[in-house]
Amino acid sequence: MENFDAIVIGAGHAGCEAALALARTGNRTLLLTLSLDAVAFLACNPSIGGTAKGQLVAEVDALGGEMGVNIDKTCLQIRMLNRGKGPAVQSLRAQADKIEYHNEMKHTLENTPDLFLRQGEAVDIQECGEVKIVKTAVGEEYQARALVFATGVYLQSRIIIGDYTKDVGPNGFSSAKLLSFSLERLGIKLLRFKTGTPARVNSRSIDFSKLEVQYGEENIQNFSFMTKGKPQNKAVCHLTYTSPKTHEIIKANLDKAPVFSGLIKGVGPRYCPSIETKIVRFADKERHQLFLEPEAMSTNEVYIQGFSTSMPASVQREMIHSVPGLENAEIMRDSYAIEYDCIEPRQLMPTLQLKGHEGLFFAGQINGTSGYEEAAAQGIIAGINASLFLQNKPQLVLSRSDGYIGVLIDDIVTKGTNEPYRMMTSRAEYRLWLRQDNADLRLTEIGRRVGLVSDARYAMFNDKCQKLERCQNLLQTKVVISELHQLFIENDESIPKENMTIKDMLKRSRLDIFKINDKLHIFDEFDYEILNEVNIIAKYEGYLKQQDEEIAKFKKFESTLIPEDFDYLKYHGLRIEAAEKLQEIKPLSLGQASRVSGVSPADIAVLSVLIKKFNEEKRD
Amino acid sequence: MSDTIACISTPLGRGAISIIRMSGAESLKIAEQVFSSNKLNYKNIIPNFLYLGNFKIKEMNERCFMVHFRAPYSYTGEDMVEFQVHGGTLLTQKILETLISCGARLAEHGEFSRRAFENGKLSLDEAEAIIGEINAESEGELAASLSVAGGQLKTAVEVLQGQLTECLAQIEAVLDYPEEDFEEETKDSVFFTLQEIESKIKGLVKNSESLKYINNGINIAIVGAPNVGKSSLLNALLGRERAIVTDIEGTTRDTISDSISYNGIKLNLVDTAGLRETSDIVEQIGVEKSKATIEHADIVLFILDGSRAMTQEEEDILKELKNKNHLVIVNKSDKERVLNRQEGEIEISALKGKNIEKLKDEIFKKVIKDEIDFNKIAVANERQLSALKQSANIIESITNDTSMDIIAMQIKLLWQTLGKITGMTENEEIIDLIFEKFCLGK
Repeated sequence: MENFDAIVIGAGHAGCEAALALARTGNRTLLLTLSLDAVAFLACNPSIGGTAKGQLVAEVDALGGEMGVNIDKTCLQIRMLNRGKGPAVQSLRAQADKIEYHNEMKHTLENTPDLFLRQGEAVDIQECGEVKIVKTAVGEEYQARALVFATGVYLQSRIIIGDYTKDVGPNGFSSAKLLSFSLERLGIKLLRFKTGTPARVNSRSIDFSKLEVQYGEENIQNFSFMTKGKPQNKAVCHLTYTSPKTHEIIKANLDKAPVFSGLIKGVGPRYCPSIETKIVRFADKERHQLFLEPEAMSTNEVYIQGFSTSMPASVQREMIHSVPGLENAEIMRDSYAIEYDCIEPRQLMPTLQLKGHEGLFFAGQINGTSGYEEAAAQGIIAGINASLFLQNKPQLVLSRSDGYIGVLIDDIVTKGTNEPYRMMTSRAEYRLWLRQDNADLRLTEIGRRVGLVSDARYAMFNDKCQKLERCQNLLQTKVVISELHQLFIENDESIPKENMTIKDMLKRSRLDIFKINDKLHIFDEFDYEILNEVNIIAKYEGYLKQQDEEIAKFKKFESTLIPEDFDYLKYHGLRIEAAEKLQEIKPLSLGQASRVSGVSPADIAVLSVLIKKFNEEKRD
Repeated sequence: MSDTIACISTPLGRGAISIIRMSGAESLKIAEQVFSSNKLNYKNIIPNFLYLGNFKIKEMNERCFMVHFRAPYSYTGEDMVEFQVHGGTLLTQKILETLISCGARLAEHGEFSRRAFENGKLSLDEAEAIIGEINAESEGELAASLSVAGGQLKTAVEVLQGQLTECLAQIEAVLDYPEEDFEEETKDSVFFTLQEIESKIKGLVKNSESLKYINNGINIAIVGAPNVGKSSLLNALLGRERAIVTDIEGTTRDTISDSISYNGIKLNLVDTAGLRETSDIVEQIGVEKSKATIEHADIVLFILDGSRAMTQEEEDILKELKNKNHLVIVNKSDKERVLNRQEGEIEISALKGKNIEKLKDEIFKKVIKDEIDFNKIAVANERQLSALKQSANIIESITNDTSMDIIAMQIKLLWQTLGKITGMTENEEIIDLIFEKFCLGK
């Protein structure tokens, strides 16, 4: 039997990050995958980032993860979403070359010391004290002290196209048919979720003359702190809409749609509904946007974003041909829905370890989430914590004020989810602080502490911090207003009566550091990232302070830890309903307890007193 | 670190002295802005020492005591400051409001005790008691919300919260789904709703302020020259001895206050020191206070002695009262009448208790009038009123230049602030609403 420190099951976006985090911190790590051709596979849309997801990628990057680096290497087109709606909600979104994305990640894994990438289907897990044994379908056995489950949507998965179903994973890759049973034997409760992906068509058959072009942005930053140079836009996307005829076709064929016929039992995500669901639920909407996205430079395949369906193939064809520009489209892959097993995530601790099972970690879609970025975010945390566990070091828990990663994990382990969970900026309470631009400032130190931030990155980070400080000091410079009349006039701002500091000038809503520097040139030595950061901090000072105060209050509750052996049912004062819920979740802190559904502020007040009492009794 | 909280810790409307206390790291800084004393240098302030000085309320100075307790040697275990001031609802409220405007936050129920507990100042037994208190308190709040007035307010504010939730869902949909392109229409509709909410909140505030008598009672200042029988009238209205009555001028050096209930409304009576120039320093303080009392009263009872003519000073006072809601009371109807008839006068004998009930009725009518509609929705307490005022301020802070992310942040804050009235402080609906209302997604 081959021996490893850790075994990661699944080499999707969660598994890759987990395995890299483990191997890079010196653990002999086996990365087991059903197919080597599915490593870091972009099974649905060929893009990385987007609202809230861009922030997740930046956070994974700051912790020393790979996703940001990998998308920067394989980017086809990049844009910043939500420009003009405020810094809190700006996110990068890139079209990825999905073939290169897979190749580059596989290449990185193959060349990482201590990481062993191997094809094989895990069929059984056994816990023998501290040692866990993983058996594969071909009869191999591997053992390790730490396991990370990152099986994605492959557990007992089946795809559905009309009344056709087949027990396979995405894209026809084989599914994992036995591992679910092994998980159930460990006492894990499973859920069944559903998602889907639209058809792919051949670009040579699209009439682009009828479509709006969507270009990327030039002079934009990269996802990763480590990538040098500016991203290049190599491809464009196109925009089209459903037609009245599309809606007619769908309405006439609703009885054939598995989501309505009852064939699909899994719970689908509301944020990513199939086109038939959209048309039924929003009957008065005349048309729906469809984006045509290139899949890779080396293929003609084009992804039709917004057109996911589980209708029979013949109906799909009719639907596609009813869309302007796609009248003669050659379909290369049909759209399908996919159902799969995942675990009820409330069985996990905020460390992503299964409660009561030391050394067993879960990450990615197996936890009921959706999205590559959500998966990567959990992957890196599961990898870090598996590594810390192997080193007998305290576990890492990111809080809701540390990052979107903290929000994501806290949400799923505390509240659970009844649909594939997607990250949204509206889920974050402190999003003015949790910006994409300051992810490195928030998390690099943590990444360094756990051993994932390299010396090179850390040196660059320290250099950035020093520059930031220098730049901020320059804001105190007093300017002579009489020399700057033009600037105020051009920007429709009243001319101040007295000389003021640059910091005060930044308080004017129509001025920013870039415009000021164009006149004064005192910030010429700083690059865009530094100036942008300083600009945001100065302009949003008051709101940031307001948020800081909220965070300080929040942290007070978060830092009141609940002892592991605290028995909620033993004490009087708590309402039974609350006590039972809390006993089930076993929150780590008073803060986490307050987010358990069914627990009231009065319960928390009582609990805070009980914890204090419990601790004092224990001391005596 | 905790923020600084303040509250009035003596029961309202009773007692000659009121205590307002603050707890938290900023206590001293806030005190420094409002309280000064010759002997006091804030840098070397002596803890547990009673300083006599002036508390500045706008342009007015209120003489009072201040004492500082240094952390951890205080009730809460934090830095604390206490002000001991002359009793009286209004004055005490003003002082509290001043502290809040300087950065303190109105304390929640039981928050001082809770802090004391958290900082290890209470024993385990006391902790048990606090659990009871917390539970009783949430039950009490529940009971309050079930009362007719409380229920109406709660419902009204819940409607506003509902509207805000919808606004927020709209904005969040725009922010989380930038491809969908409905930014402009959303901004317009959100601003429209916010304006509507603002005017409703302001209506509630106005309502509440005009109806404050129902909750706080009517503040009545008894004013008159020395020895016209102010203290006798107070005793007569109260139906018991409260003020010392002598024939010596200036017996009442301080204001004396007490309340009675009439037609379900509290009448808060304040007997002021004789309004005259005096050289006695203690009395001087009393006289200055009298002027402040008049300023803050809802109605002034101006007492004249029926057995003598008006002095020049009294005529001056009467002129000054012209713009103030007041009643002219001619006392000593048991003696021979010398004074001319006064317009709208009420003749009484404080000593014999004659026409006292009639006087109460007149006061009630004159203040409550017909303008008050008891069915109108109003807030039940200062905490709620302050939540409403804060809410109006938050809306005002949102302008056309405010970016969408900040608008969302401020609407959340607004929602939570209103939640202090309805008890709903967690909003889990937004994401559900986004998907219910909007057709989104790839």
